[in-house]
Amino acid sequence: MNALLLGVLVAAEGEPHRDDSGQVVTHHWLLPEQAELIYGTISSLLIFGLLWKFAGPPIKKAFIARTARIEAEIAAADAAVAAANADAAKIRDAKGDIDAERGRLFAEADAQAEALLRDGRERLESEVAELEARSAAELASSTTRVSDEMRAEIARIVQHATDRVVADSLDQATGDDLVEAFIQRVGASS
Amino acid sequence: MSTSRIDGYARALFEIARAEGTLDEVEDELFRFARSYESSDELRRALSDDDLPAEKRRAIIEDLLGGKATTTTTQLISMVAGAGRGRDLPAIVDSLVERASSAKQLAVAEVRTAVELTDDQRARLKAALENATGRSLNLKAIVDPSVIGGVVATIGDTVIDDTVRTRIDQLKSRL
Repeated sequence: MNALLLGVLVAAEGEPHRDDSGQVVTHHWLLPEQAELIYGTISSLLIFGLLWKFAGPPIKKAFIARTARIEAEIAAADAAVAAANADAAKIRDAKGDIDAERGRLFAEADAQAEALLRDGRERLESEVAELEARSAAELASSTTRVSDEMRAEIARIVQHATDRVVADSLDQATGDDLVEAFIQRVGASS
Repeated sequence: MSTSRIDGYARALFEIARAEGTLDEVEDELFRFARSYESSDELRRALSDDDLPAEKRRAIIEDLLGGKATTTTTQLISMVAGAGRGRDLPAIVDSLVERASSAKQLAVAEVRTAVELTDDQRARLKAALENATGRSLNLKAIVDPSVIGGVVATIGDTVIDDTVRTRIDQLKSRL
């Protein structure tokens, strides 16, 4: 600023401005004439005054409107941010729910799989036990049946052999002896 | 055949034999023939075959008994078989024996042995059974090879069994 003022003062102290023919045009090559300065100042003040009076309110109103619009835009932006945050929260919640649901589904699937395995194992064990019991029973039954059949066959063979041996060994004398023994026993039993 | 009809035939045979004065002999021969009838499938088939003419059945009987039994016995059996009652012959004869024994105040003792009893054995066996039962008996001896050895005596509901067959059966049961 000081340098500018110094420049103006220096300029004010300079030579008057001349044209090509050497005739003075203005009293200074830079500074205006005094009257021009006065009229210009008054005109400027008048223009500024008029501007203040007539252009000021619309400009102020425009600025107020602009401010209001900006504030509205800021509020809308805040609302959008809030909505976005809400949506983000919802998404995060949903994501959390999805994770929880996924975890629940996994846990349920694991539980079902474990239950299936347990049931299958128990059923298999039960079937194996039943098969073992049935096999043991069939084995015992077969053993008993075979034993009975062998016993019956032995008895049949023994009876057949006994019949033949006894019949072959019983001659007339032995038959008479048996009759005599019967007579003796019955006679003695009175 | 109904019981009354069997009794009717038995009474008729009894009266005929008694009228002929050969009751004991006829009774014994009829009893033996009845037991033979029971033990012989062939004889049983022949005498119970209704398709066989009566004359043929009578001829079979006369062939079997001719000269081995009294005429009365042969004619009585021929009469029963000719009347188509051959299958009832054992029951008729048993009824006849019961009737004859009752007439003589005797109980029937059916004795089965594997060998033929001698007269002495029959007498001593009869005496022993009468002694054991306290009753007078009409002894009917039957040779039955299935008993193998020993004696089984049946007097009414009483059975005295001392046969080899029974002992073998008992042994079989134990086995």
